[in-house]
Amino acid sequence: MSLLQLSDLTKNFDGLRAVDGFSLDIPDGSLNALVGPNGCGKSTLFNLITGVLKPDAGQVIFRGREITGWPPHRIARLGIGRKFQVPAIFEEMTVRENLTVAAKRSGNRVSIDHILEQIRLADRWDLSGGELAHGQKQWLEIGLLLAQAPSLILLDEPTAGMTGAETRATADLIRTINQDQGITVLVIEHDMGFIEYLSCPLHVMSKGKILKSGSFAEIRNDAEVKALYFGNTAVPADA
Amino acid sequence: MRNSLIGLLVFIALAVTPLFVGQYWTGQLTTYLVYGLLAISLSLVWGYGGILCFGQAMFFGIGGYIMAVFTKGMIYPDLTSSYLGLLAAMAGAAMFALALGYFLFAGRGISGAYLAIITLAIALVLERLMNNWYALGGYNGLLNVPPLKLIAFGYSYELWDRLPTFYIILGIVAVVYFGVSFLVKTPYGLLLTAIRTHPDRLSSLGYSVLNLRLSVFSLSAAIAGLAGALFATLDGFVSPTLIGFTLSTEALIWVAIGGKEMLLAAFLGAIFTRTAESWLSEIFGDYWILILGVVFMISVVLLPRGLLATPIEMLTGKRKRK
Repeated sequence: MSLLQLSDLTKNFDGLRAVDGFSLDIPDGSLNALVGPNGCGKSTLFNLITGVLKPDAGQVIFRGREITGWPPHRIARLGIGRKFQVPAIFEEMTVRENLTVAAKRSGNRVSIDHILEQIRLADRWDLSGGELAHGQKQWLEIGLLLAQAPSLILLDEPTAGMTGAETRATADLIRTINQDQGITVLVIEHDMGFIEYLSCPLHVMSKGKILKSGSFAEIRNDAEVKALYFGNTAVPADA
Repeated sequence: MRNSLIGLLVFIALAVTPLFVGQYWTGQLTTYLVYGLLAISLSLVWGYGGILCFGQAMFFGIGGYIMAVFTKGMIYPDLTSSYLGLLAAMAGAAMFALALGYFLFAGRGISGAYLAIITLAIALVLERLMNNWYALGGYNGLLNVPPLKLIAFGYSYELWDRLPTFYIILGIVAVVYFGVSFLVKTPYGLLLTAIRTHPDRLSSLGYSVLNLRLSVFSLSAAIAGLAGALFATLDGFVSPTLIGFTLSTEALIWVAIGGKEMLLAAFLGAIFTRTAESWLSEIFGDYWILILGVVFMISVVLLPRGLLATPIEMLTGKRKRK
């Protein structure tokens, strides 16, 4: 059963078509990854799903209910959490206060101590968000989403700027969130090693629409995807 | 806790001040307390809520006019209760802020310098409106606004004398100060920090940024309206200057000099600046404003958290986390 259905979503910016008739079904409980070159419309797509932007055409349907163009706070209340590309945390507040604010809105249905353990910040709960290292800020933001008690989380480049070890830990965290807690995850990422480690269905986006969908192995060997990332490198016969 | 203790000590110091100064300074200090209340309202909306309202005096003026109209019996001759006047002044200012705030914050909302300019422009428009609203005295304003009249247990007492007036006003200001101090320490205070630092994140956690902004804007306006109403009873006079540019700018300077992110510092900023103005203008005449300008620049450049907030933070041993 689909948790999130996107059908024919379209968004233009002054004549530039950022999202072009994008359609995708995200099954309940699934983990999906979305990749594509910079500027292909991935973050704009998240903005359309979460109500930050209104689509020019198309529909966003969540649990069978159309939510197209709803304001962001109403969409969040349905159980959709979103991680931004640049860590969006409350830097003046402590780690615990950050999570308290997030949990309060959802009626404190989650244990903040448990989330602190999950995001590896249990020993840093009293530091302010601004004092954390970059990778820890990314984890805290994921913690904010968990404190929302969501059913779907959208992660926009969750490992950007992380070390190899932090990236691996983040991948483990996402798998735990998905497999143990049953939260549906859609993740945008550029790090192909990370995507391979997640071993989930992969959708390649190009020029505002889906170019290919499949497993990591299928996508890796696809000629169109290779051309998208590396260009047409065929050498003319008479060269 | 240490912050509350310092606040308590400040109010105790204010309470004993009339023992050491004459009638004149007791009267002046009473007026400064009311300005301090205006500064608290601006600190709440600007320092805590992140809404730079350059026209905070409009709520002060609205409160003053409502109090005057009410207690002079201009609405209904038999309805001149000070209590009702104060409530109406607070409610009127809050309602106006609610309507104005919806216009300002709905949709993507206006923020930063744009918000400051628009609120200042609205204050100027209101000042011009009052200048031409002859039913409310026009340019000359309304005279003979009665003093506060306390009615309790069948007794009625009009506050003509300076000393009882001082203590009643001090009591009201203390209640508001400690009430707002408590409020900003509750989870609502955390939300104010959140809305000031990252409204988009707060919205994506399911909070209505519009509602939160409206709530703090209206609450701050109600406090400014209360200050305006008290001012009207002290001065016995309201005029369009209470609403417009000059007082709005002065309030901003008091709060910036004191420290916008600390209620006590903002409150003391108003009292110290007005006291300094009284002394300096006697010595330097109109040139005192130059000294104020230099102090303001020093504060903004060297101590951006405020001339008073910085030492208070050192006393409490608490620096705001960044």
